[in-house]
Amino acid sequence: MNQFALQQGHSRELDMFSHIVEFTLAKNNTIHLESFPVTTSENFQIYYVIDGKFEWIINQKHYVLYPGDLAIILPGQELGGSNRYLDIGTFIKLEFKVAMLDSANGINLGDWSNLTESERITVGRILLINNMSVLKTKEAGDVLYEMRSEVLNQEIGYLTRVNVLLDTLLIIIARQSTRQANSRRDFPGTFALLEQALRKNLAHQWTVEEMAAHVGLGTTAFTEKVKTYTGFSPLNYLINIRISESIKLLKKADINVTQIALETGFYSSQHFSTTFKKLTGYTPGDFRKRNTPTKSS
Amino acid sequence: MDNKECIITVELGTNGVRVMAFSLTGEVIASMKGSYPTFHTEPDYSEQDPEQIFITMLYVLKNLLTERVHPKHYHVVSMCFSASMHSVLPIDRNGEPLGNVITWADNRGKKEALDLKNSSLGKKIYDATGTPIHPMSPLIKIAWMSRNDNERFANTKKFLSIKSYILQQLTGEYVQDYSLASATGLLNIHKRSWEPDALSFAGIKEDALPDVIPVFASPGKLRKEYQKSLGLPANLRILIGSSDGCLATLGGGVWEEGKATITIEDSGAMRTVGKVVIRDEKQRFFNYLLTKNYYISGGPTNNGGVVFEWFTKQFGDFKGPFDMDHAMENFMREAASVSAGSEGLIFLPYLLGERAPIWNANARGSYFGINIKHEKQHFVRATIEGILYEVYSIGRTLGEHRKIDALTVNGSFASLPLFAQMIADIFNKPVNTGTNPDSIARGAYLLSAIDLGIYKNIDDAARSIDLPVSFKPQLHNHVAYQKYFPIFDRLSSKLYDEFEAIANLQHEQYLNIGS
Repeated sequence: MNQFALQQGHSRELDMFSHIVEFTLAKNNTIHLESFPVTTSENFQIYYVIDGKFEWIINQKHYVLYPGDLAIILPGQELGGSNRYLDIGTFIKLEFKVAMLDSANGINLGDWSNLTESERITVGRILLINNMSVLKTKEAGDVLYEMRSEVLNQEIGYLTRVNVLLDTLLIIIARQSTRQANSRRDFPGTFALLEQALRKNLAHQWTVEEMAAHVGLGTTAFTEKVKTYTGFSPLNYLINIRISESIKLLKKADINVTQIALETGFYSSQHFSTTFKKLTGYTPGDFRKRNTPTKSS
Repeated sequence: MDNKECIITVELGTNGVRVMAFSLTGEVIASMKGSYPTFHTEPDYSEQDPEQIFITMLYVLKNLLTERVHPKHYHVVSMCFSASMHSVLPIDRNGEPLGNVITWADNRGKKEALDLKNSSLGKKIYDATGTPIHPMSPLIKIAWMSRNDNERFANTKKFLSIKSYILQQLTGEYVQDYSLASATGLLNIHKRSWEPDALSFAGIKEDALPDVIPVFASPGKLRKEYQKSLGLPANLRILIGSSDGCLATLGGGVWEEGKATITIEDSGAMRTVGKVVIRDEKQRFFNYLLTKNYYISGGPTNNGGVVFEWFTKQFGDFKGPFDMDHAMENFMREAASVSAGSEGLIFLPYLLGERAPIWNANARGSYFGINIKHEKQHFVRATIEGILYEVYSIGRTLGEHRKIDALTVNGSFASLPLFAQMIADIFNKPVNTGTNPDSIARGAYLLSAIDLGIYKNIDDAARSIDLPVSFKPQLHNHVAYQKYFPIFDRLSSKLYDEFEAIANLQHEQYLNIGS
């Protein structure tokens, strides 16, 4: 594979892709001291190792990368050589701009991306929550090779294909990071982690798609697994947790019902009230009255 | 036809709740389950959210009634409850839970248990209460709290079980049945009253415990709001019911001299019924009350199906993600291809430490006797044999106190044909598999049915369970197992010091990773 080095502002090939900062295939044959100190990344960076062995610090952790490994550096995370130099070997680097990345709104890539809104949110959340800096995925390498030939050959349709491949790469990263984070053999263990995530962020309007992505399954397989394992559909299971938490809050006098509704993830106090009554037979207000400390039992 | 009557059973289990509807004559009309998680916030801790258990129970009950019972025009006349043993839920003076409910699997009171067990007071308490001195028992859990969690202990008005809490939510009364109470380690099972020595060790007085009532008694009427939301009649009879262990024995139809039941789910137990308490010098067995005439005696093992599942997860072939069933089926086929005794490969199944009969929390698993000819399928079979040898060693010690001629198996693992045949061969006794796998719910149904006058008494009710003999022992296999079992037995006790050493190292390792 020939080396290439494309940089925004210097390489004509990237003119049509203002979001791509750098796309290179580098072969490093010699060690230069201080060639790779730890710095904070402004953009989203991806490194795919083709050859050699690299010892890097990513996001304050030490990693040894081998061929087939993909390193992911999110905006704001640090990257550099463990010994402050670049080791001998070959890798592909892709650096691109991300408009925004936070756990509530997901990842915002810009107009070039074709991810739907819910996909953006889910992919962004997975990247932030799993926070896997190194993945083992040959699939990502294949996509990067394809991207290289699209960018360099500029055949008909390349403008679309490069951006599609970049979306594909993000999807592969999200999928692979949930697979690596979860044991694909232990559903109870995996489900327990999901349950933790749900409880941590109960106010969030979880969708089945998001929950499934968390576990690394498609929605159909996920729904079926949850149904067999818990007896409930994913959304009904979520309602269980929401109502159980709201019961605890209702027993505390210092928080009003609307606030409880929103904190436990209902859209409104009306929605909370109907769901609560349907399940418990009491309105939240009556339930609170029945359980206020003054009552003797 | 209108006005058909039915009985509802509610089973509050370790992983979830199962609600079933039975016709008065015992046919299953409907069954639904819902699960809730267990939290392990610290090593040895095992807790559940009481509100989530309550909501899950209500949700499943409501779904079963509106989808499966009311549309068929069944009228619910009785509802009977079962729950796992040994749970503790402290509540304050307003009835509010102080934290989560602590489950039977919680081991935080290891030290308190060990200290008490080795004392003469411990022996005296065991003799009086019939509950082995072990961190599982509420006696130890409350004692732990009084010594290690002063604030929570001081704020506690009552120490409930999860069933007491759920029933209080539904009816308004704080009650506990004799059966579950007899598994707290606090009840004198001979006098059927709280044992003063145990109370004082736990640091509490009688009024910190719910009132104790017989299994046939009712905690009261269903609150009006629930009558309305669930569509249940005001005169619905609610029975407090019993514990999972006692009801599984009754529902398994094991009610005569000479019979024992083996239950293997994640964990396992072997139980017998009798009118006298087993007094064991070495404190190896539990004795729980069902009613004042009957004691369920036996021994529990930690390492049942959970061990086979562990093995499958590590070494199985998975077709798709989480496809455990497929991998287990393959393993069972492989295990069946190896002869009894796994050609000399022996497995000690103590992955989770062990209760009966060795009562050693430090015990750990081991494969012994591996030679160059052993292949994967030998390990598969040895793993299953190890789990069953452990049950056999409970059975052998139980046999010193009770005559056992025939066995009944239930639970999702023990009733698998391969397991059931191996049990018959290892014990050299005929094995019955009940026609109905839900023996806990069946037992709860029987309590309601006796209460309604459908059966004269417990003996009469237990006789209604049909128990075909399905597995006959094969002598040549039994002979093979008899050669290997003594080695298994000796290893289990010989490795005592090594178990302790490795458990300590593992604990240190855990602490190092944690910090």
